Amino acid sequence: MHIVGLYISPIAIGALKDLILTILSTLLSFVLGILFAAGRLYGHPVIKLVIGWYVEIIRGLPAILQLFIIFFGLTQIGINLSPLTAGLIWLVAYGTGYAVEIFRSGIMDVAQGQREAASALGLGRWITMRKVIVPQAFALMLPALTSFVVLQLKNTTLLYLIGYADIMYQARLGADATEAPGTLYLMAAAAYLIMSLVIGRIGYRLEKRATAYR
Amino acid sequence: MSNEVVVSIRNLTKRFGKTVVFEDVSLDVHRSEVVAIVGPSGAGKSTLIRCVNRLHPFDEGSLQVLNHQLNKGSQFPSKQVLNDIRTRVGMVFQTFNLFPHLSVLENVILAPIEVKKVPRKQAIQQAMELLDMVGLSEHANKYPKRMSGGQQQRVAIARALAMEPEIMLFDEPTSMLDPELVGEVLDAIQRLAKDGMTLMLVTHEMQFAKEVADTVVIMADHRIIEKGPSREVLENPRTGRAQAFLKRVLNPVHATELEREVAVGHGGGR
Amino acid sequence: MLQQWVQYFPDMMKGVLITLKLTGSSLVVALVFGFILALMRLSTSKTLNLIGTWYIEIVRAVPVLVIIFLAYYSLGNILTLSGFTAAVVSLGAFYATQYGEIFRGAILGVDKGQTEAASALGMPSRTIMRKVILPQAFFTILPPATNQLSNLIKDTSLVFTIGISDLMFQAYSAASNNFLPLDMLLEAGVIYFVFYLVLSKLLARWELNVQRSRS
Ligand SMILES: Nc1ncnc2c1ncn2[C@@H]1O[C@H](COP(=O)(O)OP(=O)(O)OP(=O)(O)O)[C@@H](O)[C@H]1O
Ligand SMILES: [Mg+2]
Repeated sequence: MHIVGLYISPIAIGALKDLILTILSTLLSFVLGILFAAGRLYGHPVIKLVIGWYVEIIRGLPAILQLFIIFFGLTQIGINLSPLTAGLIWLVAYGTGYAVEIFRSGIMDVAQGQREAASALGLGRWITMRKVIVPQAFALMLPALTSFVVLQLKNTTLLYLIGYADIMYQARLGADATEAPGTLYLMAAAAYLIMSLVIGRIGYRLEKRATAYR
Repeated sequence: MSNEVVVSIRNLTKRFGKTVVFEDVSLDVHRSEVVAIVGPSGAGKSTLIRCVNRLHPFDEGSLQVLNHQLNKGSQFPSKQVLNDIRTRVGMVFQTFNLFPHLSVLENVILAPIEVKKVPRKQAIQQAMELLDMVGLSEHANKYPKRMSGGQQQRVAIARALAMEPEIMLFDEPTSMLDPELVGEVLDAIQRLAKDGMTLMLVTHEMQFAKEVADTVVIMADHRIIEKGPSREVLENPRTGRAQAFLKRVLNPVHATELEREVAVGHGGGR
Repeated sequence: MLQQWVQYFPDMMKGVLITLKLTGSSLVVALVFGFILALMRLSTSKTLNLIGTWYIEIVRAVPVLVIIFLAYYSLGNILTLSGFTAAVVSLGAFYATQYGEIFRGAILGVDKGQTEAASALGMPSRTIMRKVILPQAFFTILPPATNQLSNLIKDTSLVFTIGISDLMFQAYSAASNNFLPLDMLLEAGVIYFVFYLVLSKLLARWELNVQRSRS
């Protein structure tokens, strides 16, 4: 118990840092993800191809490998990034790769009949997108978007491996100092658990509201 | 029905890839005329009326809709032309296709506000009148999924009418409905016909076609096999193919008897 | 440069072997345990249901790296687990939640009429599961299960943090020998990517076959 009291505030600060990184990288990934999804659906064939490969590479490589390439790998060509910068770049790059697919399939999953009905009424492409497709796609995507945020939160753990002082970093320090790794890693797990559950809860609420029409 | 031709279909051919949907189809539709299109499944009826509001392009022939001459091939007409056609030609789908995330009222006012830039207040007023006409003004704030199929289809009709179209296309508007709900939708369509709307209607309701339509077109085997005044076509079809089709849809007794026999035979065996 | 890629290729392959061994063992644990979790969540017993649900909710919410550390540094210390065993336990424990949910979803997805028809024919519930439900659920399971397998392979890369000499570990130690981190990490990346491509090609083919056989 003594150990818990000693390390609760560093871990809480680490948690706060992770949360901020999660929110920031999620917002940036969503913006880029929407743009890339539009490019992949409606862009020039070359753009489609490039975005397609980008998504494949992000999905195909282990997360930690990607992060290490940005942090360690780039030093080989003279680019030295701080742990925070490298971490944020990776979180956004990685998040974008996943967000593209969520947005793309959300848009495609809205039934063809909805597009046709909008066309038959003379609604233009932009209005159809804004008033008909996106609101429905958003409701369809919400569960995936919620898991996305949780995934990003969990991804912040890896930043510890490049020396960023997040939850895991603090837990590791504590584990080495106290020789009670069980307690400290359980505290770290609890911190992630609480944040994930809260995010899940918020997502669930939003989903209930967005799908009230069903 | 006036002499003005509002839809002129000349030697129209439509393919999806290599499959021919229909070939060399010609048909004139006059203002205020009610044209019913009947025929077996897969004959290309839906595809034909979808060419009229350019949901589908066509491959050969020519097509004039209102004052617009449409070109063959997959290239779309200019934005203005397409817009003009879509606003002046309304369409009602077999599967309703209401926007599920919008209330009934919002479904009806969306296009007038966004496309015709009608002020919201005025759009609402007009929408309520239309909903009243189809007997649904009390349901204005409901969401589509909470309504029966017949009600949804009547909302779809109101939604199309809100654009004040000159021509209305109906693609089997009652075939997804339970039998007891068919009447309410057909009534709404009949009202439109009486008010002088030009209608192109794909349907399997032969009795309705006979009573309400001026002209009946029978499509089968990738072409129009018969067209003319509704009674004439439906009561005395000239071609053998049309006779066979009508016999099947008008006298399902034979089929029913067969089914009954099978059922009894099966029951006896147990 | 290329010479460095060639020089370290044998080490990387040793790493691949360990990565594959780890993937295979963890997959077996995850599948078996996942199936048990699915049955728990589908069972009529309230307690089992609750335990299954809680397990999945909690474990899924915790990063895999944290689970690995917990297993290795605390549980591992108490039970004196080897790094490899700790890794299998933690990856298995985590992926069981993923497979559990896939199994459950697929089983629920089979039309209720199927169970009713089978019961009406007098089949016991075990037979219904084996002969009626699972064969139908199989094709729903295949795509997401393959997907998770590809995630599992990628996540095995985390075990280099507890000193297992997998592919990631080999890349990292090669880089600290020759000071060419970009090259060595990219070499490992190409190898990981090949596995990913093979799995996703397989998946695409399966999906095509299923579509064909059903139309
Ligand atoms: N988008 C499409 N791509 C390829 N083939 C199509 C497409 N839409 C329709 N077809 C084909 O065109 C033919 C005619 O279809 P259509 O829907 O026009 O028939 P229909 O007369 O309306 O039949 P139904 O009574 O079943 O609605 C069918 O053989 C159909 O398979
Ligand atoms: Mg049709």
